[in-house]
Amino acid sequence: MQTVKMVISGAVNSGKTEFIKTISEIEVVSTERRASDDTKLIKKETTVAMDFGRIAISKDLVLHLFGTPGQKRFDFMWEILSEGMLGLVILVDSTRPETFRETNRIIDFFISYRDTPYVVAANKQDRPNAWSPDELRLALRQPPHVKVIPCVAIDRESVKNTLLELLYVILDRSAEG
Amino acid sequence: MALVGNIQDFGLSDFLYLVDRGYKTGCLHLKRGNDAAVLFFEKGKLVFASQGTGGQKGDLLVQLGKITPQQLEQARQLQSHNGNGMSLSQALVSGNIISQEELQQSLQTHIEEAVVYGLFGWPDGEFRFEHGQKPEADTPVMPVPVPVEHLIMEGVRRIDEWGRIKDRIPSTDMIVRFVDQPGEKAKGVKLAPEEWRVFARINGKDTLAMIAQKTNLSDFDVCRVVYGFATAGLVEVVKKPTAPRGAADVPRVKRSLVSRIISRIEKM
Repeated sequence: MQTVKMVISGAVNSGKTEFIKTISEIEVVSTERRASDDTKLIKKETTVAMDFGRIAISKDLVLHLFGTPGQKRFDFMWEILSEGMLGLVILVDSTRPETFRETNRIIDFFISYRDTPYVVAANKQDRPNAWSPDELRLALRQPPHVKVIPCVAIDRESVKNTLLELLYVILDRSAEG
Repeated sequence: MALVGNIQDFGLSDFLYLVDRGYKTGCLHLKRGNDAAVLFFEKGKLVFASQGTGGQKGDLLVQLGKITPQQLEQARQLQSHNGNGMSLSQALVSGNIISQEELQQSLQTHIEEAVVYGLFGWPDGEFRFEHGQKPEADTPVMPVPVPVEHLIMEGVRRIDEWGRIKDRIPSTDMIVRFVDQPGEKAKGVKLAPEEWRVFARINGKDTLAMIAQKTNLSDFDVCRVVYGFATAGLVEVVKKPTAPRGAADVPRVKRSLVSRIISRIEKM
């Protein structure tokens, strides 16, 4: 059985857990705990270790989805999770510009470490005052070749579309065979 | 849909960059306690700004001593005779009440010095950007819209705090390089001698610390100058490449495997 891995990252409350829950075929293994720092101002429970979801591709191939913890003090987990990943989805809460700097820091961490294929998912596009993907591209200073995709993490079609867009990026970089 | 936030989290210079690169037309409303300001943009360039809750209109030029109340009234009458399309500034110029050059100079100086640069000193404040909102007909807009890179550079010169600079430049061990096409953007920026010294040392190889050493400027001064360049979109600050890791470290997956995953997810 071959397994491949994708990582879902983003700032606290960007929608990582929801994103994985929406698409995973198994009940998401989530290690949510009561938040013990500033994040409790945003949500009562937050991901302190990681989320884990799974999609069976075929009898001999499985896709694993890992959600990273959002808080800075769990940075060390990012490196562990990013080992051997196929690609990366960076989720950003389009309604909270106060998280854009942190989102940039996360992108910087992952892409400076490895030349990782990634897309930015502009989550919560169904909310009032959501910044559009074009505005987020400018706010996050992402170059034109990086896809910034409108997303609603609780909507299955939207999550599917985000994963497919990432897969097309990976496909472009893949080797023959 | 309005863009809302706080300049504590998303700075004014970042917002101006977004307005410029997004080629935006609209009004940026800023509010801090009892103070308030509005900045109007046309296709990414500043056309008018005012501070205070009252909102200055045509009488601004009277207050600045550039025209008399009678001349203002004369311009307003000219506006009404010409229908809705004529702005107050156009009426002032076409009625030979004030030359375009003098109108531009007095408005630009006032808007930059009395309004915009002061806003860079706000540590916080709510912002709301209303797409498409244009100044009222009685507003004395600048005949020649002002590019925002110029405002960003000058505003950033007044920043004297490490905190904000470190958001973009966390370490002096980072490398500065020019963006692919600064071209037109660079033309709107006027550099001070100290900034030229830094600008001339940017080669895509030297770290900020090395530039500081070569220019005999402090780390802080170099970072502040480079922060201005980066905010205006002229340069980018990147980490030094680490030799042992990099693209080679990423496993090149097989095309057939990716295609299988795509096919499966498309059917979900």
